[in-house]
Amino acid sequence: MLVSQRCKNLKFLFLAIVIVLTIPTQAQAYIGPGAGFAVVGSFLVMFTALLSALLALFTWPMRYLIRAIRGRHAFARSRVKKFVILGLDGMDYAMTEKMLSEGKLPNLVKLRDQACFKPLATTIPTISPVAWSSFQTGSNPAKHNIFDFLTRDKRNYQPRLSSVDIRGPRRKITLGKYQFPLGKADIRLLRKGKPFWKTLGEHGIFSSVIRVPITFPPEKFHGVQLSGMCVPDLRGTQGMFSFYTTKKEDKVEHTGGENFYVTKNGNSVKAELIGSTNPLRKDNSILKCPFEVTIKDENSADIKIGRDSYTLEKDVYTNWIKVSFRAAPGIKVYGICKFLLLSAAPEFELYVTPINIDPEKPAMPISHPAIYSTYLAKRQGSFATLGLAEDSWALNEKVLIDNSFLHQCIETDQEREKMFFDALDKIKHGLCVCVFDGTDRIQHTFWRDIDEEHPANREQEQRPQRNIIEELYQRMDILVGKTLAKCKGKDTILMIISDHGFNTFRHGVDLNRWLEENGYLKVKDSQRNKKHLECVDWSKSRAFAIGLAGIFLNLKGREAQGIVEPGAEAAQLRNEIAKKLIELNDAEHGQRAIKQVYNAMEVYQGPYKNEAPDLIVGYNRGYRASWETAIGQVTDKIFHDNTKAWSGDHCIDHSLVPGVLFCNRAITTEHPRLMDIGPTVLDMFGVAVPRYMDGKPLAVTDVDGNKNRKKQAK
Amino acid sequence: MMHFLTQIINWINVPLNAAGKFLSIPVCSLPGWLSNTLISAVTGVVLLIIFKYTSNQKAIGRVRDNIKADMLALKLFKDSITVTLQSQGRVFKGAFQLLFHAVKPMLVMIIPVSLLLAQMGTWYQSRPLLPGEETVVTLRFNSDIEGPWPKVDIEPTTAVDVTSGPVRIFSKKEICWKIRALEGGYHRIIVQVGQRQIDKELAIGDGFMRISPERPRWHWADILLYPGEKPFGPDSVVQSISIEYPQRPSRTSGTDWWLGYFFVASLVFALIFKPFLKVRI
Repeated sequence: MLVSQRCKNLKFLFLAIVIVLTIPTQAQAYIGPGAGFAVVGSFLVMFTALLSALLALFTWPMRYLIRAIRGRHAFARSRVKKFVILGLDGMDYAMTEKMLSEGKLPNLVKLRDQACFKPLATTIPTISPVAWSSFQTGSNPAKHNIFDFLTRDKRNYQPRLSSVDIRGPRRKITLGKYQFPLGKADIRLLRKGKPFWKTLGEHGIFSSVIRVPITFPPEKFHGVQLSGMCVPDLRGTQGMFSFYTTKKEDKVEHTGGENFYVTKNGNSVKAELIGSTNPLRKDNSILKCPFEVTIKDENSADIKIGRDSYTLEKDVYTNWIKVSFRAAPGIKVYGICKFLLLSAAPEFELYVTPINIDPEKPAMPISHPAIYSTYLAKRQGSFATLGLAEDSWALNEKVLIDNSFLHQCIETDQEREKMFFDALDKIKHGLCVCVFDGTDRIQHTFWRDIDEEHPANREQEQRPQRNIIEELYQRMDILVGKTLAKCKGKDTILMIISDHGFNTFRHGVDLNRWLEENGYLKVKDSQRNKKHLECVDWSKSRAFAIGLAGIFLNLKGREAQGIVEPGAEAAQLRNEIAKKLIELNDAEHGQRAIKQVYNAMEVYQGPYKNEAPDLIVGYNRGYRASWETAIGQVTDKIFHDNTKAWSGDHCIDHSLVPGVLFCNRAITTEHPRLMDIGPTVLDMFGVAVPRYMDGKPLAVTDVDGNKNRKKQAK
Repeated sequence: MMHFLTQIINWINVPLNAAGKFLSIPVCSLPGWLSNTLISAVTGVVLLIIFKYTSNQKAIGRVRDNIKADMLALKLFKDSITVTLQSQGRVFKGAFQLLFHAVKPMLVMIIPVSLLLAQMGTWYQSRPLLPGEETVVTLRFNSDIEGPWPKVDIEPTTAVDVTSGPVRIFSKKEICWKIRALEGGYHRIIVQVGQRQIDKELAIGDGFMRISPERPRWHWADILLYPGEKPFGPDSVVQSISIEYPQRPSRTSGTDWWLGYFFVASLVFALIFKPFLKVRI
């Protein structure tokens, strides 16, 4: 069929050429501009391509020479040509081992049998931003300064992102109602230390780093990078979905999303997409993009945004749709989003994903070099750029049903696969790293499927017959198979790693309530339900909790209203709280909630040790910091059943949730750690491991069977 | 087949000539550069719209995106000779694909554009004769004429004065006269050929006038290029009759230059309107 179509096309082309060439000469000039600009355009393309080709070819020896002069003897001592790391966020060791033994993961079975499969020790705490930061820097958290998703602002105890600080430009020119910034916004990566791919770059080795968490804003190095976890949406949040409905009773507050009550006018609904605050307006008004939905029938509608129209079908996501927000005359901010028509009639319900930064015209830097995201968008079409691309909040808030959320996860992984394979094809010598997040998001939200006793299952009369997590692992196994096919060369090392494992999250522990009950925290009763620790009486509070990792002391000189003296008093308080907390018993379920409490002063070594929570809580299976603790709320009881779809978690004791390490070469190191991966890569490329790194190169067996350590000794 | 095509173009020329005469309002009253610019602008936009609806916009978009991606790949992976060469290859392939996608709209547009340009040519390609100016009138017989040539004479008129001729060039089967223009305006030169009279339009004056340099033979290409006058029939003993008009000296609306200017200007206007009309070329 395809061949016959090609033949038809060729015949048509041939006929067209003959017609054009056989008409009189004068008429050839009469082709006219309509087709002329296409002809001119394509010749322009050819000319530019030829010019750039010549430039690249002629300057290549010079660039090679410059690199040689600068001492970047790339691959001079290298024992591999290519190192590929496939990161599967949250792939659990125990679950993988079980499925391997059942023969359900044939590609991973091959790797296990022929080379290596081991548990990979993770970080304390076992939280993705912490773990992936240790992966990139090869060091413990006290050297990279990331201890949790959130930390507190030491000036006012308010929660803030631990990895990035975004501030608008300092100087502005005012012109009427507009203000024009002089200079760029100040976007700072708060992760300290140096990623190992930067060290590789200094030795002339090229890297492609795709969606590794805590790489926003992107840093300069010799290679390409697409930022991952913590890239904000266009509103500057970590992902804010929109839900438009005509149901009045649905006018409730959503976490991670916003509800918009709309009215039907005939069969038409008018509403607005919400963007960021307008940086060019003095009044900082909100950027909006109006749209109109025309309902056709119960299952479909048309949506008009600007001058473009799209069709909406019930329960089917649109493709990524480009939207623009007018900031000032001639200045627009671009974003992309997907629409999902949940119901057209009798009630209208429309879900819109968080508005992602448009990779083609990014409003903020999301890649290095900046054109890399444009390159990917041109190569494969628009793709999710938001750090947490899968909208688990919409599922938690019951705006999305399971299948719709799952669809999002799968599509995001497919987008990722395309960019990963493109990098594998492009890079013949160097490092390729790509992290897939679907494994993490799906386990978080569907663990209830494999935990019958999970509180989220209580309300369900009949549990669906499915095993989404098993299907997820099998999909990842197929991905591994495809990756293996692209890493056939003897000079290529492939590692499949995860930053941590997974377990059930049945009950949340309100640490602040425990601190209150034990006299360490004083709450102003009239303000008890306030978020962000606003209910705390700081003059009488010695400790508090925010985020998922642990407990901070209200230390004098460090916190704004600190009352605990640093030194002996602080040390004594740490020990006292740790001793009591480890005894915390969940009487209702007859279980100990905490497995271990870690003193930051003892488990960390590095210059940012004092920035860490003073105590890191290693929860037992089934427990985690409660949702309220994470946002600095104090409730009236310690234990809360977790009835959300977010039913699995890894923010528990590190010993309970190791990650996985697969490799296509045997590794003889007995207890590999996540922070050893970076040093291993450096070592395999023949680059000396920097002294600040805590990780050690793993003993990877060469193709001829020798361990790398031996070879290095020679 | 050719006869049919010639007849079709002949018929089409009738309404087009009528429409072309409407052009006299802007063309005669505006400076040449401005009238040509206006026509180019309108044509550029109209053809852009035709291009949009006759081409495969989705496919062109895909090719353009791939080309852009490969161009960026050249920059991003410049240290890799393999990637450089592969990207180059794909860019060239993309350029040819763009050409391929332009063929269909080009074929659709070639006829209306040719007709339009022929009409424009009557205004810009030559200037009319000035009173007192001399030029050559050439009558060409059909190539299959046999035996002695019929008696041929230009009938006296107040508009022109025949200063020399007729000169017969047997090898070319042509007869030439030199004439001098006398009186401004559109005139008809009557030529007596044997028992038959044929006529040819003559334009004398200043500024822009619609000029027909040749009354064409019965051939589709000639009728397309010289639409101003009715062609000679296929069985006519006279094949064509032409007047050598002087060249118009202008870089925007003068002989030959007008075509280049039109091409560039219409291209520029099309490119300006491209984003507003959301056309991918």
